[in-house]
Amino acid sequence: MTERDHEIGETNETGFASAFEGDVPVGTRTPSAIPHRLKGLVPAGIAFFAVIAVWEGAIRLFDVQAFVLPAPSVIVGRFIETSDVIWSVGFNTMIEALAGLIAGTILGVAVAFGTIRWVPLREGLMPFAIAANSIPIIALAPIANGMFSITSPVPKMVVVAIVVFFPVMLNTARGLLDVDADEVELMRSYAATPREVMWRVRVPHALPYFFSAMKVVSVLSITAAIVAEYFGGSQEVLGQYILNRASLLVFPDAWAGILVASILGVALYGFVLLAERLVMPWHVSFRATDAS
Amino acid sequence: MNDLVVKADQVAKVFGQGEGQVVALENISLQIERGEFISLIGPSGCGKSTLLRLVGDLLSPTSGSLEVNGKTPKQARLDRDYGIVFQKATLLDWRTVTKNVELPLEIMNTDDREATISDMLELVQLDEFADHYPWQLSGGMQQRVAIARALAFKPALLLMDEPFGALDEMTRELMQQEVLRIWDETETTIVFVTHSIPEAVFLSTRVVVMSSRPGRISDVIRTVLPHPRDEDTRDSQQYYERITEVREALRRDEGSS
Repeated sequence: MTERDHEIGETNETGFASAFEGDVPVGTRTPSAIPHRLKGLVPAGIAFFAVIAVWEGAIRLFDVQAFVLPAPSVIVGRFIETSDVIWSVGFNTMIEALAGLIAGTILGVAVAFGTIRWVPLREGLMPFAIAANSIPIIALAPIANGMFSITSPVPKMVVVAIVVFFPVMLNTARGLLDVDADEVELMRSYAATPREVMWRVRVPHALPYFFSAMKVVSVLSITAAIVAEYFGGSQEVLGQYILNRASLLVFPDAWAGILVASILGVALYGFVLLAERLVMPWHVSFRATDAS
Repeated sequence: MNDLVVKADQVAKVFGQGEGQVVALENISLQIERGEFISLIGPSGCGKSTLLRLVGDLLSPTSGSLEVNGKTPKQARLDRDYGIVFQKATLLDWRTVTKNVELPLEIMNTDDREATISDMLELVQLDEFADHYPWQLSGGMQQRVAIARALAFKPALLLMDEPFGALDEMTRELMQQEVLRIWDETETTIVFVTHSIPEAVFLSTRVVVMSSRPGRISDVIRTVLPHPRDEDTRDSQQYYERITEVREALRRDEGSS
């Protein structure tokens, strides 16, 4: 049993390595796994509320001005009062982010498959893809606005799609290649076709890598959409809302917009976590560890 | 029907070319009869795993002739004439025990898979663990699943590449007993690569002693121990004599090369 490095920082729980001694079954899936996980959230919850409390206290104590940093209570107040507007602009931004995320993911996965199927494509493309992955793609946003109609959501979707494409493609390709020599020999001993090797061995190996990438790009897609919106276009989007409220010095409103963006990001991330769990329940990161 | 499952004549395998070339195997001639249990033993680098892979058509010989089940190794592989077990169980993490055993049956698109799987799991005494995932099993159990998977499509030949090399001594002895019982019940021909002299002697009908640089067969020792073999066999005089014989054969090669 190996723990795999999934390229984009992710740690696997490893409490069961010592359990492979003797001819007895180990580490059975226990129903206690879920409460155990919730218990793990307690320190994080305490930390969260502690930070909010310190923030709120410090602002009252030192009488910090709202343009520097508004108090959490003020932000939440504005968040509730302006909820009609911020959720409506948030929805438009979400659509851009989602469209870009889906397009970038489909394209990334398709190209990753291509690089496995055609070795010249891999050897020719990969170095550029790795280089391109380190370019701040968000800087392309003004150019995308020029290429497509600036008032339409399309240039924002394009930027998001490009941002999403590279990590998904690189990670998926890496996962498809992360196959044991023994597994390939085993499939060869069965006289399996390349297609069977792909679907029965390579694709399952690529799933953890794919989901690692998705966890990163799901959040990144919201960020990319908002930053792209800063460069102009429709006013009915989260990026423009935050920009306008900030330039009018209504900072609590801008912060309320940022809160919406955070909620959208966390929601997308949560969706990816859920999908991961449904698609690969066998994976090492979901195993109950009796040791801890 | 040809009675020889493996027939090697002057087989050689060379890796690389020019200056960097390594002669992995030279002048390998060996005949394995149906129903035999053959161990390949020798020091690291003697090419025993290479020989196993030549038989399985996972590598091709550089020269010489090699027949498996009376055909070319490639044809034998395409006809699914052999099953293989590696040192690592090489189970697919995302499949349960049942689904792992089913893998070759899926690829070969055989009928009546459920019955075959339950027969196989019974054979390796893992029927209770059918729905477990590989990580929930111990190393010995994982290797038993690998054996069940290799035998699921009833191959004429079972190739085993140091299958118990990663197991602790107690599990290893249990597994040896297990594999002998399976060999008895299935009448499969087994070619077994190992580092362990007692293991080779305990299991085999013949032990093929190999030496390195270049890899070659230096001796073939018939174990002539009675069957079935059990714990008493391990205490018998004959067993010790065979072990000594194999050890001396290995040592002799060491001196001559």
